[in-house]
Amino acid sequence: MQYSRITFIELYKIFRNPRTYIAFSVVALVVGLIQLGFYTDGETYLEFGLRSLTDTFDLHGKILNGYLMAYIILQTLLVNLPLLVSLVAGDMISGEASIGTLRLILTKPISRNVLIMAKFTAAGIYTLILLLWMAFWSLGISVLIFGADDMLILKSDMITQILSSDVLWRYIAAFGFAIIAMLTVASLSFFLSVFAENSIGPIMASMSIIIVFTIINTLDLPIFNHIKPYLFTSHMLGWKGFFDIRVDVNNEQIKGSIENLPGVLFSAGVLIMHIIGFLWASIWVFKRKDILS
Amino acid sequence: MGQVDFLSTIINYTNLHIQVDQLTKQFGNFTSVDNLSFSVNAGEVYGFLGQNGAGKSTTIRMILSLIKPTHGTIKLFGKSLQDDREYILSKTGAMVEKPDLYKYLNAIDNMKIFSKYGGLSLSRDEIMNQLSVVGLESRAHDKVKKYSQGMKQRLGIAIAMVNNPDLIILDEPTNGLDPQGITDIRNLILMLSRDKKKTVVVSSHLLSEVEQIADSMLIINKGKKIVEGRVTDLLNPGKVQLEIETLNNEEAKLILRSSTWSDLLKGNSKEKLIIEVNRANIQDLTKYLVDHGVGLVGIKSVNSLEAYFLSLTSEHAV
Repeated sequence: MQYSRITFIELYKIFRNPRTYIAFSVVALVVGLIQLGFYTDGETYLEFGLRSLTDTFDLHGKILNGYLMAYIILQTLLVNLPLLVSLVAGDMISGEASIGTLRLILTKPISRNVLIMAKFTAAGIYTLILLLWMAFWSLGISVLIFGADDMLILKSDMITQILSSDVLWRYIAAFGFAIIAMLTVASLSFFLSVFAENSIGPIMASMSIIIVFTIINTLDLPIFNHIKPYLFTSHMLGWKGFFDIRVDVNNEQIKGSIENLPGVLFSAGVLIMHIIGFLWASIWVFKRKDILS
Repeated sequence: MGQVDFLSTIINYTNLHIQVDQLTKQFGNFTSVDNLSFSVNAGEVYGFLGQNGAGKSTTIRMILSLIKPTHGTIKLFGKSLQDDREYILSKTGAMVEKPDLYKYLNAIDNMKIFSKYGGLSLSRDEIMNQLSVVGLESRAHDKVKKYSQGMKQRLGIAIAMVNNPDLIILDEPTNGLDPQGITDIRNLILMLSRDKKKTVVVSSHLLSEVEQIADSMLIINKGKKIVEGRVTDLLNPGKVQLEIETLNNEEAKLILRSSTWSDLLKGNSKEKLIIEVNRANIQDLTKYLVDHGVGLVGIKSVNSLEAYFLSLTSEHAV
């Protein structure tokens, strides 16, 4: 009862704060710009990119369609989304500390455990809504503008074609995975927020950690190879796995299949463990913290 | 719970709203509050006085369970803060230092939020009534970012009172306010005590502020208790300290040294003599000086407690 009441208050505060809508505006703006760019010059751009293929294959249908657009947008935007998630999650505790409302809240008859759980839930719901907003723009609006057809994904060593009837569930799964990935970022920012007394610190620290971990991921050095599987950044792009399809003995794609399902599930598991770890650590620290702000 | 314990709890609840015993807080090697004990009676305004950094805010934060004590016990309404935190906080309202509140919301929405944190769901009329107590009803719909510091302080007090608490704790409520703002807050505290029958604890670093509103007070310095008692007793002792300014302080000092007043001479400077006398003897002293040809320029009575508090302050400044 206390938990649901406080979660509602936290959500009310998040969605009454004008700063919250920066993230929603940025997503709509960036997606809109990408869509505008592809709407005006997309065909030329794709013709250039597919030149080597059209010499060999005969490509029919609408290659520049809503499904391909959504994939391009996700590739571009999911890398930057952690910053937008941190803007709110990193502010949940530290923001209240900096304006003096944290001590005012904690003079009310509520448990610290319940407060932090409610705040984390509210940050999680915000992250979920932000991802749904992104899905609406990148997939919904793209399909409306560019239409739906089979999806063609170009990779460095192969080309994947996914039937239009086999695409939608993959996007739902991919967005589900992206939610877990962004919740990991939210939980990291939230954890850092417990220590800080202004919101800039946790936001900057979260982004710094993501950047450093990403650099480690890209360096192919033996010393780093041992730790890479345990870094959450190594698993954040696991959503792409839903667009890798298995083929049968005749090299025919198997509809509804995922090439490396255990790998995708392992990545999701690592991310979920990070979420649980960061949340547990946040509760542990916050329960013992002296409120000096 | 035995009958004796039960009765003891009832008696404590009725008479004592706060009991602090041997409270200590250490931050590393620094002792912020040192073995502090005091109690606050129900229905009184209790002044908590000390210079900046004396340990007032740390003590108040420990009473509100914002900071965990290193040692000692705190009881409110006869119950242990450690065991009955939520019950105690449901009967307590507090404003700790200057709250900025949610600037993007108006006073009504801020009140709604904090009433819900307290488990209450107040109607608009109830909120407007509470805002009228602190004189903010006409600005209730304005966003807090448009408020002056004094208005924010008053809204902070309204939020402290949102759950109709028996005990209200205000940490430096007049800090940063202009004279009118200070008067408003002072009148508000007196109204809460006299009309609403609340127990109010007010911390301040200004003796003049506390003495105007408090029934009892505690002075602390460097985390330790200096003095505690009724304000009337502390501020009206039998002896009073006088600062005497004469046309020739050196000559006046020699005259006093050769008299029966010699032992009462506490010190002097080029500008003034300082002498501690019984109130009843002030007239005799001035007569003695005039009779011996001392040209008096001025005599100022400085309460001994105030003098003591000022000495603490100046010691800190050095």
